[in-house]
Amino acid sequence: MQTPLPSPVPVLRLPRGPEGLSRGFAPDGRRALLKPEVPGTPESPVVHECQESQEQRARALLRERYLRSLLAMVGRQVSFTLHEGVHVTAHFGATDVEVANFYVLQLQTPIGVQAEALLRCSDIIAYTFKL
Amino acid sequence: MAMRQTPLTCSGHTRPVVDLAFSGITPYGYFLISACKDGKPMLRQGDTGDWIGTFLGHKGAVWGATLNKDATKAATAAADFTAKVWDAVSGDELMTLAHKHIVKSVDFTQDSNYLLTAGQDKLLRIYDLNKPEAEPKEISGHTSGIKKALWCSEDKQILSADDKTVRLELIKSFETPATINSASLHPEKEFLVAGGEDFKLYKYDYNSGEELESYKGHFGPIHCVRFSPDGELYASGSEDGTLRLWQTVVGKTYGLWKCVLPEEDSGELAKPKISFPETTEEELEEIASENSDSIYSSTPEVKA
Repeated sequence: MQTPLPSPVPVLRLPRGPEGLSRGFAPDGRRALLKPEVPGTPESPVVHECQESQEQRARALLRERYLRSLLAMVGRQVSFTLHEGVHVTAHFGATDVEVANFYVLQLQTPIGVQAEALLRCSDIIAYTFKL
Repeated sequence: MAMRQTPLTCSGHTRPVVDLAFSGITPYGYFLISACKDGKPMLRQGDTGDWIGTFLGHKGAVWGATLNKDATKAATAAADFTAKVWDAVSGDELMTLAHKHIVKSVDFTQDSNYLLTAGQDKLLRIYDLNKPEAEPKEISGHTSGIKKALWCSEDKQILSADDKTVRLELIKSFETPATINSASLHPEKEFLVAGGEDFKLYKYDYNSGEELESYKGHFGPIHCVRFSPDGELYASGSEDGTLRLWQTVVGKTYGLWKCVLPEEDSGELAKPKISFPETTEEELEEIASENSDSIYSSTPEVKA
Protein backbone atom coordinates (compact mmCIF):
# COMPACT_ATOMS: atom_id res chain seq x y z
CA MET A 1 0.00 0.00 0.00
CA GLN A 2 2.19 2.76 -1.26
CA THR A 3 0.93 6.28 -1.75
CA PRO A 4 2.75 8.11 -4.54
CA LEU A 5 5.21 10.74 -3.31
CA PRO A 6 3.75 14.22 -3.51
CA SER A 7 5.37 16.16 -6.30
CA PRO A 8 7.95 18.80 -5.43
CA VAL A 9 6.98 22.46 -5.54
CA PRO A 10 8.11 23.73 -8.94
CA VAL A 11 10.50 26.65 -9.13
CA LEU A 12 11.04 29.21 -11.86
CA ARG A 13 14.79 28.89 -11.57
CA LEU A 14 17.51 28.48 -8.95
CA PRO A 15 18.94 31.44 -7.03
CA ARG A 16 21.73 33.17 -8.93
CA GLY A 17 25.18 32.75 -7.50
CA PRO A 18 28.21 35.06 -7.43
CA GLU A 19 29.65 36.11 -10.78
CA GLY A 20 33.22 34.80 -10.96
CA LEU A 21 35.57 36.99 -8.98
CA SER A 22 33.41 40.09 -9.17
CA ARG A 23 32.37 41.60 -5.88
CA GLY A 24 28.98 42.54 -7.30
CA PHE A 25 26.87 45.50 -6.11
CA ALA A 26 26.07 46.44 -9.70
CA PRO A 27 26.72 50.17 -10.08
CA ASP A 28 23.64 50.47 -12.29
CA GLY A 29 21.54 48.26 -10.06
CA ARG A 30 18.08 49.09 -8.75
CA ARG A 31 19.35 50.67 -5.57
CA ALA A 32 22.19 52.62 -7.18
CA LEU A 33 20.68 56.02 -6.46
CA LEU A 34 20.17 55.21 -2.82
CA LYS A 35 22.68 56.67 -0.43
CA PRO A 36 22.93 55.58 3.21
CA GLU A 37 20.81 57.90 5.35
CA VAL A 38 22.81 60.71 6.92
CA PRO A 39 22.03 60.34 10.60
CA GLY A 40 20.37 63.35 12.14
CA THR A 41 18.56 64.47 8.97
CA PRO A 42 14.85 64.92 9.70
CA GLU A 43 12.63 62.40 7.95
CA SER A 44 10.56 63.95 5.14
CA PRO A 45 6.81 63.78 5.69
CA VAL A 46 5.53 60.49 4.43
CA VAL A 47 1.80 60.80 4.96
CA HIS A 48 0.81 62.50 1.71
CA GLU A 49 2.98 60.08 -0.25
CA CYS A 50 1.27 57.06 1.23
CA GLN A 51 -1.52 56.74 -1.31
CA GLU A 52 0.82 57.36 -4.23
CA SER A 53 3.29 54.79 -3.03
CA GLN A 54 0.49 52.31 -2.46
CA GLU A 55 -0.59 52.72 -6.06
CA GLN A 56 2.98 52.47 -7.21
CA ARG A 57 3.41 49.30 -5.23
CA ALA A 58 0.29 47.83 -6.79
CA ARG A 59 1.52 48.78 -10.25
CA ALA A 60 4.89 47.20 -9.60
CA LEU A 61 3.27 44.03 -8.36
CA LEU A 62 1.01 43.75 -11.38
CA ARG A 63 3.91 44.47 -13.70
CA GLU A 64 5.98 41.78 -12.10
CA ARG A 65 3.10 39.30 -12.38
CA TYR A 66 2.69 40.13 -16.04
CA LEU A 67 6.38 39.69 -16.74
CA ARG A 68 6.31 36.35 -14.96
CA SER A 69 3.33 35.30 -17.04
CA LEU A 70 5.34 36.05 -20.16
CA LEU A 71 8.15 33.92 -18.83
CA ALA A 72 5.74 31.09 -18.18
CA MET A 73 4.57 31.27 -21.78
CA VAL A 74 7.93 30.51 -23.34
CA GLY A 75 7.84 27.34 -25.42
CA ARG A 76 4.08 26.89 -25.04
CA GLN A 77 1.35 26.75 -27.55
CA VAL A 78 -0.60 30.01 -27.45
CA SER A 79 -3.88 30.90 -29.17
CA PHE A 80 -4.14 34.47 -30.36
CA THR A 81 -7.31 36.32 -31.16
CA LEU A 82 -6.56 39.01 -33.72
CA HIS A 83 -8.67 41.66 -35.39
CA GLU A 84 -11.35 40.79 -37.90
CA GLY A 85 -12.14 37.56 -36.05
CA VAL A 86 -8.87 35.94 -37.00
CA HIS A 87 -7.52 33.21 -34.72
CA VAL A 88 -4.01 31.83 -34.96
CA THR A 89 -1.92 29.55 -32.80
CA ALA A 90 1.83 29.47 -32.35
CA HIS A 91 4.61 28.56 -29.96
CA PHE A 92 5.62 31.59 -27.99
CA GLY A 93 9.28 32.53 -28.16
CA ALA A 94 9.94 35.98 -26.80
CA THR A 95 8.79 39.55 -26.56
CA ASP A 96 10.70 42.77 -26.94
CA VAL A 97 11.21 45.24 -24.13
CA GLU A 98 8.16 47.36 -24.94
CA VAL A 99 6.00 44.28 -25.52
CA ALA A 100 5.36 45.63 -29.00
CA ASN A 101 6.09 42.41 -30.85
CA PHE A 102 5.94 38.71 -30.03
CA TYR A 103 8.45 36.40 -31.61
CA VAL A 104 6.69 33.12 -32.33
CA LEU A 105 7.44 29.80 -33.94
CA GLN A 106 5.25 27.49 -36.03
CA LEU A 107 2.60 30.10 -36.55
CA GLN A 108 -0.50 28.40 -37.89
CA THR A 109 -2.29 30.84 -40.14
CA PRO A 110 -5.30 30.37 -42.44
CA ILE A 111 -2.86 30.36 -45.35
CA GLY A 112 -0.28 27.97 -43.94
CA VAL A 113 2.32 27.43 -41.23
CA GLN A 114 5.06 30.01 -40.79
CA ALA A 115 8.21 28.65 -39.16
CA GLU A 116 9.11 31.93 -37.48
CA ALA A 117 7.18 35.16 -37.28
CA LEU A 118 6.76 38.43 -35.43
CA LEU A 119 3.28 39.18 -34.27
CA ARG A 120 2.51 42.84 -33.79
CA CYS A 121 1.03 43.21 -30.32
CA SER A 122 -1.18 46.04 -31.49
CA ASP A 123 -2.86 43.47 -33.72
CA ILE A 124 -3.57 41.13 -30.84
CA ILE A 125 -6.82 41.46 -28.95
CA ALA A 126 -6.28 38.55 -26.59
CA TYR A 127 -4.21 35.43 -26.12
CA THR A 128 -4.54 32.32 -24.01
CA PHE A 129 -2.34 29.39 -23.13
CA LYS A 130 -2.47 26.42 -20.81
CA LEU A 131 0.00 26.19 -17.95
CA MET B 1 -3.05 18.50 -2.39
CA ALA B 2 0.23 18.05 -0.51
CA MET B 3 3.41 19.15 -2.17
CA ARG B 4 6.99 18.44 -1.24
CA GLN B 5 9.08 21.33 0.02
CA THR B 6 11.65 22.43 -2.56
CA PRO B 7 14.41 24.28 -0.71
CA LEU B 8 16.35 26.79 -2.76
CA THR B 9 20.08 26.33 -2.31
CA CYS B 10 22.20 29.46 -2.46
CA SER B 11 25.76 28.58 -3.28
CA GLY B 12 28.83 30.78 -3.34
CA HIS B 13 30.37 30.35 0.08
CA THR B 14 33.27 27.95 0.33
CA ARG B 15 33.18 27.32 4.08
CA PRO B 16 30.50 26.92 6.76
CA VAL B 17 27.82 29.57 6.97
CA VAL B 18 27.66 30.57 10.62
CA ASP B 19 25.27 33.49 10.78
CA LEU B 20 22.61 35.13 8.69
CA ALA B 21 20.25 38.06 9.03
CA PHE B 22 17.39 39.63 7.10
CA SER B 23 16.79 43.33 6.70
CA GLY B 24 13.37 44.86 7.18
CA ILE B 25 11.01 45.19 4.23
CA THR B 26 12.26 48.00 1.98
CA PRO B 27 10.83 49.48 -1.23
CA TYR B 28 13.23 47.14 -3.04
CA GLY B 29 12.05 44.04 -1.20
CA TYR B 30 14.07 42.59 1.66
CA PHE B 31 17.65 41.44 1.81
CA LEU B 32 19.72 38.75 3.41
CA ILE B 33 23.32 38.79 4.61
CA SER B 34 25.32 35.65 5.38
CA ALA B 35 28.44 35.35 7.51
CA CYS B 36 30.92 32.70 6.51
CA LYS B 37 34.16 31.25 7.75
CA ASP B 38 35.68 32.03 4.36
CA GLY B 39 35.78 35.68 5.44
CA LYS B 40 33.54 36.90 2.64
CA PRO B 41 30.05 37.84 3.81
CA MET B 42 27.50 38.05 1.02
CA LEU B 43 24.43 40.13 0.38
CA ARG B 44 21.48 38.49 -1.34
CA GLN B 45 18.00 39.42 -2.43
CA GLY B 46 15.86 38.04 0.40
CA ASP B 47 12.97 36.47 -1.48
CA THR B 48 14.94 34.81 -4.25
CA GLY B 49 18.36 34.21 -2.76
CA ASP B 50 19.99 35.90 -5.77
CA TRP B 51 23.49 37.05 -4.98
CA ILE B 52 23.94 40.85 -5.05
CA GLY B 53 27.47 41.32 -3.81
CA THR B 54 30.28 40.22 -1.52
CA PHE B 55 31.76 42.45 1.18
CA LEU B 56 35.51 42.19 0.73
CA GLY B 57 37.93 43.31 3.40
CA HIS B 58 37.97 41.02 6.40
CA LYS B 59 41.12 39.02 6.97
CA GLY B 60 39.57 36.18 8.91
CA ALA B 61 36.43 34.13 9.39
CA VAL B 62 33.31 36.25 9.67
CA TRP B 63 31.27 35.10 12.66
CA GLY B 64 28.42 37.55 12.65
CA ALA B 65 26.62 39.68 10.11
CA THR B 66 23.63 41.94 10.18
CA LEU B 67 21.77 44.51 8.10
CA ASN B 68 20.05 47.65 9.25
CA LYS B 69 16.30 47.93 8.79
CA ASP B 70 16.34 49.55 5.34
CA ALA B 71 19.30 47.49 4.14
CA THR B 72 21.45 50.54 3.48
CA LYS B 73 24.11 49.44 5.95
CA ALA B 74 25.65 46.14 6.88
CA ALA B 75 27.85 45.19 9.81
CA THR B 76 30.10 42.19 10.21
CA ALA B 77 32.05 40.64 13.10
CA ALA B 78 35.21 38.70 12.38
CA ALA B 79 38.06 36.66 13.69
CA ASP B 80 40.50 39.37 12.59
CA PHE B 81 39.53 41.25 15.79
CA THR B 82 37.47 43.81 13.91
CA ALA B 83 33.86 44.65 13.30
CA LYS B 84 33.20 46.50 10.06
CA VAL B 85 30.35 48.69 8.91
CA TRP B 86 29.60 48.66 5.20
CA ASP B 87 27.52 50.56 2.70
CA ALA B 88 25.10 47.80 1.67
CA VAL B 89 24.24 49.52 -1.59
CA SER B 90 27.75 49.97 -2.97
CA GLY B 91 29.54 47.28 -0.97
CA ASP B 92 32.13 49.80 0.23
CA GLU B 93 33.64 49.57 3.67
CA LEU B 94 32.58 52.54 5.84
CA MET B 95 34.21 51.83 9.19
CA THR B 96 36.57 49.39 10.83
CA LEU B 97 36.12 49.06 14.59
CA ALA B 98 39.13 47.52 16.28
CA HIS B 99 38.61 45.07 19.13
CA LYS B 100 40.93 43.16 21.40
CA HIS B 101 39.76 39.70 20.44
CA ILE B 102 37.55 37.80 17.99
CA VAL B 103 34.27 39.60 17.44
CA LYS B 104 31.26 37.29 17.25
CA SER B 105 28.15 39.42 17.08
CA VAL B 106 26.93 42.72 15.67
CA ASP B 107 23.51 44.37 15.82
CA PHE B 108 22.16 47.77 14.70
CA THR B 109 19.56 49.72 16.66
CA GLN B 110 16.28 50.34 14.80
CA ASP B 111 17.39 53.89 13.88
CA SER B 112 20.82 52.64 12.69
CA ASN B 113 22.54 55.15 14.99
CA TYR B 114 24.24 52.64 17.26
CA LEU B 115 26.01 49.35 16.73
CA LEU B 116 26.31 46.71 19.44
CA THR B 117 29.30 44.38 19.22
CA ALA B 118 30.34 41.43 21.33
CA GLY B 119 32.88 38.66 21.25
CA GLN B 120 35.63 36.74 22.91
CA ASP B 121 36.83 39.65 25.00
CA LYS B 122 33.65 39.20 27.08
CA LEU B 123 32.63 42.86 26.67
CA LEU B 124 29.54 44.38 25.13
CA ARG B 125 30.40 47.50 23.17
CA ILE B 126 28.07 50.19 21.91
CA TYR B 127 29.39 52.38 19.10
CA ASP B 128 27.80 55.68 18.14
CA LEU B 129 27.92 55.47 14.35
CA ASN B 130 27.63 59.25 14.06
CA LYS B 131 30.89 59.57 16.01
CA PRO B 132 33.05 56.71 14.80
CA GLU B 133 36.19 58.22 16.34
CA ALA B 134 34.70 58.27 19.83
CA GLU B 135 35.38 55.41 22.21
CA PRO B 136 32.52 52.93 22.49
CA LYS B 137 30.57 52.43 25.70
CA GLU B 138 31.71 49.16 27.25
CA ILE B 139 29.61 46.83 29.40
CA SER B 140 31.23 44.00 31.31
CA GLY B 141 29.66 41.15 33.23
CA HIS B 142 30.04 38.07 31.10
CA THR B 143 32.49 35.50 32.42
CA SER B 144 33.10 33.78 29.11
CA GLY B 145 33.19 34.79 25.45
CA ILE B 146 29.92 36.25 24.21
CA LYS B 147 28.37 34.41 21.29
CA LYS B 148 25.49 36.69 20.49
CA ALA B 149 24.22 40.06 21.63
CA LEU B 150 21.05 41.76 20.43
CA TRP B 151 19.10 44.92 21.08
CA CYS B 152 15.61 44.30 22.35
CA SER B 153 12.63 46.10 23.93
CA GLU B 154 12.88 48.92 21.39
CA ASP B 155 16.63 49.18 21.84
CA LYS B 156 16.32 49.85 25.54
CA GLN B 157 17.79 46.52 26.57
CA ILE B 158 20.50 44.18 25.42
CA LEU B 159 20.11 40.44 25.28
CA SER B 160 23.38 38.53 25.30
CA ALA B 161 24.48 34.93 25.54
CA ASP B 162 27.76 33.23 26.31
CA ASP B 163 28.67 29.58 26.74
CA LYS B 164 27.12 29.18 30.14
CA THR B 165 24.43 31.77 30.55
CA VAL B 166 21.73 33.50 28.65
CA ARG B 167 20.64 36.67 30.34
CA LEU B 168 16.94 36.47 29.62
CA GLU B 169 13.67 35.46 31.15
CA LEU B 170 12.54 32.00 30.11
CA ILE B 171 9.22 32.41 28.35
CA LYS B 172 8.87 29.04 26.66
CA SER B 173 10.90 25.91 26.10
CA PHE B 174 10.61 23.09 23.56
CA GLU B 175 11.84 19.52 23.49
CA THR B 176 13.88 18.73 20.41
CA PRO B 177 15.26 15.44 19.05
CA ALA B 178 18.75 16.87 18.66
CA THR B 179 20.97 19.70 19.87
CA ILE B 180 19.62 22.90 18.40
CA ASN B 181 21.97 25.70 17.40
CA SER B 182 19.54 28.32 16.24
CA ALA B 183 15.86 29.10 16.15
CA SER B 184 13.64 31.84 14.83
CA LEU B 185 10.14 32.92 15.74
CA HIS B 186 7.67 33.70 12.96
CA PRO B 187 6.85 37.44 12.86
CA GLU B 188 3.28 36.66 13.90
CA LYS B 189 4.42 34.16 16.55
CA GLU B 190 2.29 31.22 15.39
CA PHE B 191 5.32 28.97 15.09
CA LEU B 192 9.05 28.82 15.15
CA VAL B 193 11.72 27.03 13.18
CA ALA B 194 14.89 25.52 14.59
CA GLY B 195 17.92 23.70 13.30
CA GLY B 196 20.99 22.06 14.77
CA GLU B 197 23.32 19.14 14.89
CA ASP B 198 21.21 16.51 13.12
CA PHE B 199 21.22 18.57 9.88
CA LYS B 200 17.43 18.88 9.96
CA LEU B 201 15.10 21.82 10.19
CA TYR B 202 12.13 21.61 12.50
CA LYS B 203 8.97 23.66 12.63
CA TYR B 204 7.10 23.83 15.95
CA ASP B 205 3.72 25.21 16.86
CA TYR B 206 4.47 28.07 19.24
CA ASN B 207 1.45 27.46 21.46
CA SER B 208 1.33 23.69 21.75
CA GLY B 209 5.00 22.90 21.18
CA GLU B 210 3.95 20.25 18.69
CA GLU B 211 6.44 19.42 15.95
CA LEU B 212 4.66 20.34 12.70
CA GLU B 213 7.20 19.65 9.97
CA SER B 214 10.79 18.57 9.58
CA TYR B 215 13.06 18.73 6.58
CA LYS B 216 16.29 17.11 5.59
CA GLY B 217 18.45 18.80 3.01
CA HIS B 218 21.61 20.16 4.52
CA PHE B 219 24.75 18.06 4.53
CA GLY B 220 26.06 19.41 7.77
CA PRO B 221 24.92 20.87 11.11
CA ILE B 222 22.74 23.93 10.84
CA HIS B 223 24.29 26.98 12.45
CA CYS B 224 21.62 29.62 11.94
CA VAL B 225 17.97 29.90 11.01
CA ARG B 226 15.99 33.08 10.44
CA PHE B 227 12.50 33.93 9.26
CA SER B 228 12.17 36.58 6.58
CA PRO B 229 10.53 39.81 7.76
CA ASP B 230 7.25 38.89 6.03
CA GLY B 231 7.33 35.35 7.42
CA GLU B 232 6.90 33.76 3.98
CA LEU B 233 10.21 31.94 4.03
CA TYR B 234 13.04 31.04 6.36
CA ALA B 235 16.73 30.75 5.61
CA SER B 236 19.18 28.28 7.11
CA GLY B 237 22.98 28.41 7.06
CA SER B 238 25.02 25.28 7.50
CA GLU B 239 28.42 23.75 8.02
CA ASP B 240 28.04 22.44 4.45
CA GLY B 241 28.70 25.97 3.17
CA THR B 242 25.26 26.58 1.77
CA LEU B 243 22.34 28.76 2.58
CA ARG B 244 18.89 27.33 1.89
CA LEU B 245 15.57 29.07 1.59
CA TRP B 246 12.46 27.18 2.72
CA GLN B 247 8.82 28.03 2.21
CA THR B 248 6.69 28.61 5.27
CA VAL B 249 3.61 27.52 3.33
CA VAL B 250 4.73 24.77 0.98
CA GLY B 251 3.31 25.11 -2.50
CA LYS B 252 2.49 28.80 -2.35
CA THR B 253 3.60 31.01 -5.22
CA TYR B 254 6.27 33.29 -3.78
CA GLY B 255 9.68 34.40 -4.94
CA LEU B 256 11.03 31.65 -7.15
CA TRP B 257 8.46 29.08 -6.05
CA LYS B 258 5.56 28.67 -8.42
CA CYS B 259 2.18 27.23 -7.58
CA VAL B 260 0.94 24.73 -10.10
CA LEU B 261 -2.76 23.99 -10.27
CA PRO B 262 -3.58 20.32 -10.77
CA GLU B 263 -5.06 19.19 -14.08
CA GLU B 264 -8.70 18.44 -13.47
CA ASP B 265 -8.98 15.84 -16.26
CA SER B 266 -5.95 13.68 -15.61
CA GLY B 267 -5.14 12.06 -12.30
CA GLU B 268 -1.48 13.05 -12.60
CA LEU B 269 0.07 15.22 -9.96
CA ALA B 270 1.21 18.56 -11.30
CA LYS B 271 4.77 18.54 -12.48
CA PRO B 272 6.97 21.45 -13.45
CA LYS B 273 6.40 22.02 -17.17
CA ILE B 274 8.71 24.93 -17.81
CA SER B 275 12.12 24.00 -19.07
CA PHE B 276 14.84 26.38 -18.16
CA PRO B 277 18.46 26.29 -19.22
CA GLU B 278 20.05 25.75 -15.85
CA THR B 279 18.48 22.50 -14.74
CA THR B 280 16.56 19.66 -16.30
CA GLU B 281 13.45 18.15 -14.80
CA GLU B 282 15.53 15.24 -13.53
CA GLU B 283 17.82 17.61 -11.69
CA LEU B 284 14.85 19.37 -10.21
CA GLU B 285 13.52 16.04 -8.95
CA GLU B 286 16.92 15.32 -7.46
CA ILE B 287 16.99 18.64 -5.70
CA ALA B 288 13.55 18.07 -4.24
CA SER B 289 14.09 14.40 -3.47
CA GLU B 290 16.59 15.27 -0.75
CA ASN B 291 13.54 15.98 1.37
CA SER B 292 11.91 12.65 1.94
CA ASP B 293 11.23 13.31 5.56
CA SER B 294 8.29 15.65 5.53
CA ILE B 295 5.71 14.73 8.13
CA TYR B 296 3.31 17.26 6.71
CA SER B 297 0.24 15.16 6.25
CA SER B 298 -2.05 15.47 3.26
CA THR B 299 -4.94 14.05 5.26
CA PRO B 300 -5.30 16.41 8.21
CA GLU B 301 -7.75 14.23 10.04
CA VAL B 302 -5.05 11.64 10.61
CA LYS B 303 -3.12 13.94 12.93
CA ALA B 304 -4.15 13.71 16.54
